[in-house]
Amino acid sequence: MTSPGQAKSPPARWLEYVGALTIQFWTVIRQLRHVFPFVGKPRRWRTTVQQMYAIGASALPMAGTMSFFTGMILALQSAAELRRFGAMELVVNLVAVAFTRELGPLITAIAVSGRSASAISAEIGTMVVTEEVDALRVMGLDPVEFTFAPKYLAALITIPCLTVLSTLSGIFAGYLFLAFSIDMSFRVYVQRAAEAVQLRDVGLTLVKSLAFASIIVQVGCLEGLRAHGGPQGVGHSTTVAVVKATFLIILVDLIATGIFYAMGWSAVE
Amino acid sequence: MTANAGERVICIRNVSVSYGSRHVLKDIDLDIYRGEILVLLGGSGSGKTTLLKQVLGLLKPDTGTIRINGVDITTCPESELAAIRRHVGVAFQEAALFNSLSVEENVALPLHELTHLADSTISLMVWMKLKAVGLADAAKLFPPQLSGGMRKRAAVARAIALDPAILVLDEPAAGLDPIAAAQIDELVLFLKRAFHMTVLIVSHELVSALHIADRLAMLYQGRLIVVGTREQFLANAHPQVRKFLDRTPDPISRGIAEDFINSYLRAG
Repeated sequence: MTSPGQAKSPPARWLEYVGALTIQFWTVIRQLRHVFPFVGKPRRWRTTVQQMYAIGASALPMAGTMSFFTGMILALQSAAELRRFGAMELVVNLVAVAFTRELGPLITAIAVSGRSASAISAEIGTMVVTEEVDALRVMGLDPVEFTFAPKYLAALITIPCLTVLSTLSGIFAGYLFLAFSIDMSFRVYVQRAAEAVQLRDVGLTLVKSLAFASIIVQVGCLEGLRAHGGPQGVGHSTTVAVVKATFLIILVDLIATGIFYAMGWSAVE
Repeated sequence: MTANAGERVICIRNVSVSYGSRHVLKDIDLDIYRGEILVLLGGSGSGKTTLLKQVLGLLKPDTGTIRINGVDITTCPESELAAIRRHVGVAFQEAALFNSLSVEENVALPLHELTHLADSTISLMVWMKLKAVGLADAAKLFPPQLSGGMRKRAAVARAIALDPAILVLDEPAAGLDPIAAAQIDELVLFLKRAFHMTVLIVSHELVSALHIADRLAMLYQGRLIVVGTREQFLANAHPQVRKFLDRTPDPISRGIAEDFINSYLRAG
């Protein structure tokens, strides 16, 4: 096999990679209709539900716990500073806004990236090196429709849900801290948190989480497809998938946050 | 021989493939006739697998044409290729069974995906195919629970699920003990007799090839050096064919071995 990226400079390699990712993205989008319930093929929807469990539901304990711990850390760190100004109750605003806008989607995406980008690339990589992908193609079945599309739809459905739950978990950690330190009641906490968070923040967060879901599945699939050279190649592609997915998630987050800031969507009204 | 003057099912003309400056296949011309078993022999790196992938439409040649049932698969649109692939069953070297599906689900997969048959009909067809390859008792097992020989037979069962006119087997006997390999040979002969399939086998197992082939072809360094019946093959005087038949190593590898032994002796 020829490897087109071999003699190119790093920027050219990244450009080629983003190009390959975009082409694959459109190919998967075009096959997505076969996967939907009712209008698509029932067997694909069944696979999608299995994938929703694997990518989404089974990641909930980990993503939730990570957000909970981060929420607690954020509350502890900010309280140490805010206590000096006698503004402990502002911890509510800080935790609620930071989680809704940023930490909820980011921590969820990193948790899912570690679990699923690796799992997806390992699965597809194994299929490539054991000729299962070739077997699908010679049977007249499209590997994109058969394996990629159900994973993508599953991620598009579950990762935003996971993001909401893990954000709530982080905000709840903030409440626990304030309940024990300044005896704040749950009702007051919820009221203040709801005042601090705007509906627009929630909307933008969900858009971000859809972008992160796309990165995780598409990078996982592409790295899997590029696996070659037996089990060692699959192991390598798995590592690369997690590294590239996590890097791209943070990069896209930066770009998105920059755009939101420039558009004035980050300002508190 | 069976059908030398018969209808051409696969027709390969002037096919050349190169990766960079390395020529993998050079001007390949090969016809495969209806109802015959053609075994494509060749050592490692001779281009066998590349030629196979061209015939299956998984790779496109740099030049040349490959016609299956009269349709040029190197230029036809994807939809036409998919239609042709329904008449071609393939068993890959590593069996390529889906590990998450049981043996019967693996065989049922193409039937569920590509036909509108009722589930009861599909189960009956799956049972018949598994019976034909002698795996009816293993239907509920998963691929990792099978032995190497059983996996290959399961792959053949999946390959014949849609009753293809053409069966392609990649190294069916590689890595099997002689008894399991002989079972595969008998299975191929049975399929040819019972279903009148055209069979293309890629192999380097000489004994099995001479046993089952109607015609043999041999690739060496990307060129077809001989195509003919068993008698023609055995009588062929090409040095590489003689080496293959007599299991003589290439001089270079013998040279390397001698160098290694000499340096080892000197060091000792």
